[in-house]
Amino acid sequence: MRSSRQSRFLSEPRAALAAALARWARARQGDDLPPVALQARRIYILPTASGAAAAALLFVMLLAGMNYDNSLALMLCFMLCGVTLVSMHECHGMLSGLMLLRAEVDNTFAGQLGELQLYFENAQTRVRAGLLVRSPGCVPSRFHMSPGGTQMVRLAFQAGARGRQRIERLELSSSAPLGLFRAWTWLHLPLEAIVYPAPAGARPLPARGGNELRGAWRSRVSGDEEWAWLRPLQDGDPPRSVAWKSYARGAPLLVAHYDAPAGARRVLDFTRLQGLSLEQRLSQLTQWVLDCERLGETYSVRLPQQSLPPGHGIAHQRACLEALGLYRQ
Amino acid sequence: MNARPVIADEPVLLPPQTVWLLLGGFLGAVLLNAHHTALWCLPLALAAVAWRARNLRKAPRLPARYLRIGVAGLLTLAVLVGFHTLNGVEAGSSLLVAMATLKLTETVRRRDWLIVLGAALFLLLAACLDRQALWLLPLYAAELWLLCGALYALGAGADAPPAAAMLRRSALSLAWALPFALLLFLFVPRLSGSFWAIPQPDQAFTGLGDEMSPGSISQLTQSGDAALRVRFDGALPPPAERYWRGPVLHDFDGYTWRRRRVDLGRAPVLQFHGPAYDYEITLEPNQHNILIALELPQGVPDTLPNAYPTFDYQLVAPAPVSRAVSYRLQSYLQHRTDEPLSAAARRLDLQLPPGRNPRSVELAHSLRAGADGDRAYIDAVLDYLRHGDFSYTLEPPLLNFDSVDDLLFRTREGFCGHYASAFVMLMRAGGVPARVVTGYLGGIWNRYGEYLYVTQSDAHAWAEVWLDGRGWVRIDPTAVVAPGRLTEELEDLLPAAATGHRRLLDSVWIVNAVQAWQGLNAWWQDEFIGFNFARQLGLLGLLGIRNHDLEALALLLAAGAGIWLAAIAWGLRPRAQPGAEDGLSRSWRALERKLRRLAAPRAAYECPTDYAARVGRAHPELSATLAALARRYARLRYGPAASAAQLEQFRRAVRLLRPRAG
Repeated sequence: MRSSRQSRFLSEPRAALAAALARWARARQGDDLPPVALQARRIYILPTASGAAAAALLFVMLLAGMNYDNSLALMLCFMLCGVTLVSMHECHGMLSGLMLLRAEVDNTFAGQLGELQLYFENAQTRVRAGLLVRSPGCVPSRFHMSPGGTQMVRLAFQAGARGRQRIERLELSSSAPLGLFRAWTWLHLPLEAIVYPAPAGARPLPARGGNELRGAWRSRVSGDEEWAWLRPLQDGDPPRSVAWKSYARGAPLLVAHYDAPAGARRVLDFTRLQGLSLEQRLSQLTQWVLDCERLGETYSVRLPQQSLPPGHGIAHQRACLEALGLYRQ
Repeated sequence: MNARPVIADEPVLLPPQTVWLLLGGFLGAVLLNAHHTALWCLPLALAAVAWRARNLRKAPRLPARYLRIGVAGLLTLAVLVGFHTLNGVEAGSSLLVAMATLKLTETVRRRDWLIVLGAALFLLLAACLDRQALWLLPLYAAELWLLCGALYALGAGADAPPAAAMLRRSALSLAWALPFALLLFLFVPRLSGSFWAIPQPDQAFTGLGDEMSPGSISQLTQSGDAALRVRFDGALPPPAERYWRGPVLHDFDGYTWRRRRVDLGRAPVLQFHGPAYDYEITLEPNQHNILIALELPQGVPDTLPNAYPTFDYQLVAPAPVSRAVSYRLQSYLQHRTDEPLSAAARRLDLQLPPGRNPRSVELAHSLRAGADGDRAYIDAVLDYLRHGDFSYTLEPPLLNFDSVDDLLFRTREGFCGHYASAFVMLMRAGGVPARVVTGYLGGIWNRYGEYLYVTQSDAHAWAEVWLDGRGWVRIDPTAVVAPGRLTEELEDLLPAAATGHRRLLDSVWIVNAVQAWQGLNAWWQDEFIGFNFARQLGLLGLLGIRNHDLEALALLLAAGAGIWLAAIAWGLRPRAQPGAEDGLSRSWRALERKLRRLAAPRAAYECPTDYAARVGRAHPELSATLAALARRYARLRYGPAASAAQLEQFRRAVRLLRPRAG
């Protein structure tokens, strides 16, 4: 409640100032390409509200010490000044020397949450506490790092409309150890997600090969399909495609790989979806791609002026979805 | 995965050790102030701390808002009633304890705890303002350490390390802060000035007062409190000449001597001769505004430009000496003047209360009749005291209203004050202007601090008489009655029973220990507590800086702060995590660095072979190479002991790898 009240206060000038600062930092630092070592010159530091209150307290202490002309009180005040400044250095050191090894962003569907992964390395002996990564439109993420460790930090972001979505800027900050200062740095990473159309639409899958019509898909595990070969399970393989029977016999987790007969592929054709708007068509195609992939079918996507060869698997699905996401963008 | 959403200033549940640190720090601050805050402060704070400690693991339920406001109002009223003010150290710290205690009952958020910590720091300041004795320094330092530890623990929030780790950090931080604090201490200009009025504490100091009754000095000698410390630039005056001159008393009502506050104009100009003594006196707080000096001082100290000399050669400070003060003076032990005594001064120092002490007046007249001149009369009175069977005692019998008659003709037992009083009265009755001088006699040489240590037990009273053509002459009638008083310790003159507890100090090592401790205290008082603008300028002189001004101080301060900041940046610089890294590991890490742009770094759970396989899957062109390198690494690491040549070969193989980011 308090924070929302505060943020409304003078929000416009503050936003303008923040934007100007962001532009300045961008121009000053340029683009970052991981690995990025956080050097001192790109770490900014300012007192927090608690820090300002502490400064006021120290000033009153100084006045009291001078008013009473009391050496001991002044010494106390000076010791606290020293501790404050030490904490400022420590706060700066929470970021200084930290290494961003790699930054990745996952593609996602419009309106859903995407994820970016940041890999940090702390090659130093210090504990880095109170670290916070955030970015506009992202759910902030807190973490800390022990000496000599690496850490992956996930950051969820809200995907907008389909197309390319850039994460313009990440802010990494810490107000450890005392909360009197906040050090931060801005990272301008080449983070770009392709947002796929939101899967939607209830139209049935087009018939295989254009001639053989199958009303409904049949369960794979029923065993009456012919599969050509087995391959090891990889990330992203749907659980339904696992050859559980062979697994039960003691084999490793394998995936049945179908060599579909020629002509047994489904053509997901943009032009055949009459009566739908552009976005609805793309959503339906996206839904179909997902369905086909789940069924382990071979499929191809046809867009006006663009046609993807038939295939299946993660790479194929990705290529299809990207084509759909970027269509006419 | 330890990422979680951020919550701005939500109620935090601090770990119990953090709450203990915070409560301990607060309680320590209250205890350090317990002696001068209102009586209810300590029990109130103890109750609040106990209540909060019971609710260690959960956020406490708050008392109703109107109740809290009501209690706050009541406590403020209690302070107002108790002290009649909210200003000043006592009232202020009482109020602070009250408000911080109330805040303690509603510590839910981090901000609440910060306020309690701030109050505790301020209470520590109040304690420093109130008492600066050396023995308190370790307590203050420990409290500061505790509070800083609490600050660190609070900063770490919900996942604070154990209290011991926080206290270690606090110690380290304070150690770094110390040089900076000393720098500020030495070079921040001490522009002492009153930004707001300070109520004077109505503390009773032991020491010489504005008046002297029979027995008042002997009461004083029971006290072992410090009166003053004197450092001499050169030789010390002989022990029998160490008269530390304080308030001069003129008015006599037959029983009590009082100071005269009227100014009778210029004092007769003195011609000094004999050796000069340069010395610095540190005067402990006392009740009057007389600056004690050796005999008759010359001039006014530089450090106290507002002090002024009076017609009876006292140095008067503009305000009562309510805190230790240091000043430099020069004195001669021998002086004379050819000027006549002014009529007003003669009248002042001859006046006697009419009708009082009739037998003494009679005695004076008879002695005067048999004496030829003032000098002969003085000798006659001293002879009377010497041969009249008078004795010296610390516990004289009570004297009645005509105190001099009672002493001379009934009790014949007295202390310095009694004899000085009787002698001056006899002088005045015989027509010789005379006055009582109170002060101190003697002092103990402290060889550790190299100063003369004068305590209240050295309090003394003597007389000054006017001789035409000679000026004021010091006469100590006690020296006639008890000749040892001038050269021996007071205790040696007195019955053992009166000073039994002091005999303990005869043991040599105890004397040494006490002297060393006193010396340390003196250093603390002079160099630390008494550090001021004048000493700052003196320090500049020591550093060889010519122009003693604020600019020089500011420059030194800036330079020192710069050096400290550089030192601390160096001291806190990032240090590489030392690992048991041999050449093989280094080579493998080089390989991982090369692959950093291609794939996610090797996770903690991945062995090199798995990692190579993963990267190889993403980048098939490297697959075979990486698999071979990983196999080779495993063989070198876990197989038969590898030769240097094999390790070198591996290093070169890694160097050959040229992955291109796809």
